Formats: sequence, C-alpha cells, structure tokens
Amino acid sequence: MMAMESPLVTADVVEVSEFPHLAQKYQVMGVPKTVFNETVSVEGGVPESAFIAKLLASE
Amino acid sequence: MAILQQKDADTIRSLFAKELRDPVKLAFFTQGESPLDAPSHECRFCQDERELLTELTALNSHLTLEVTDFVASADVAQARGIDQIPALELTGHAKGRVRYIGIPAGYEFSSLIEDIVDLSKGTTRLAQATREALAKLTRPVHIQVFVTPT
Repeated sequence: MMAMESPLVTADVVEVSEFPHLAQKYQVMGVPKTVFNETVSVEGGVPESAFIAKLLASE
Repeated sequence: MAILQQKDADTIRSLFAKELRDPVKLAFFTQGESPLDAPSHECRFCQDERELLTELTALNSHLTLEVTDFVASADVAQARGIDQIPALELTGHAKGRVRYIGIPAGYEFSSLIEDIVDLSKGTTRLAQATREALAKLTRPVHIQVFVTPT
C-alpha cells in the first residue's frame, strides 16, 4: 500500500523459499522480514506507525 | 487442470465484480520454452504462476495479463529492473511500484487479491499520518518483504 501512495517507493514481496540466496544475503531467519533500502530491517508484523518509522529511517 | 478451485474462483469473481473500478495490468516475467535456443523449460514456479494469473485475469474484464520472456526479452526485463523470475508487477492506480518476486501462494495470494482491488480503486487503508509521511519522501525507498507460502 505504501508503494501506491508514493512514486518514490518500490515494494517487493519476495517468496524467499524460492530464492535461498536472498534469505542468506538478508539473514532472513523468520518471516515476515522487511528490509528498507538494504540497510534498515524489521522482523515480524509491526504496526503501521512502526513500519513507517523504519521506512523513514532508511531514507 | 485448473489451479484455482471452482469455489475460490467464484468467490474472487464476485469480489472483483463488486470492487474493481479501473483497469489493472499484471505484468508477468517468466522464461518460456524457446524454439530458437537450446531446450529450456519454464522455471519451477513460473509455469504454476502463469497458469494461476491466466485464470485470475480471466475472472474480470478490468484485468489484463502481459507475459514477458525474461530471456528472449532481457532488455525489457532489465529496463523494468527485474532480475529474477517469476516476477509480477501490478500497475493500476499506483504512484510507486508493486511487485511480487516468486509465486504469490498461500497467504500472499490474499495479499495479491487485496492489492489488485486497491490498485483498481486507487484507495489504500493507510492512516493519514502515514500518507503525509510518504508524501514528504525526497529519495527512493526500496521495501523488500520476505515471506514464505504458509
């Protein structure tokens, strides 16, 4: 939904079991795991306010 | 054999008939069999996803499926930033880019249906504060959500 609101956002849903190299690269130990701009990450489902805070921290 | 079960197809058809407003294109990147190259076969989940998307887009006239061969049309895939398959990009009322890398199965299939509805209506259920924060972004943000098909 965030990508629908901003032209600057690209949102990928990655089915990680098909791409084990990405699981390794991003150290995905549990799902969902969200990575923002390769630098900031959050594990598990989080409230929208926490999610946007992480997103802004990665900008 | 159909991938979507009849009762699920009926449910989604009803939902789409009620909710979809404007066109949504599903741009799917796969690797098909090519008569020109050495024998190849569609990647493990690509064929399943292509069939699933074919069935899904047949449920409503607002939906179109565009299939691009990742190898034969490598320039198109590259221009769109697609570097692995199967990959799906949804276009409708999105300001940014919405993509699914790997087959949207299990819970993600529900997410896909919800995204199609949102992209068709041009609405999101985000809080006002979130929308305001997104409107103030000045640099690109790439969000990757890693999931498994449970």
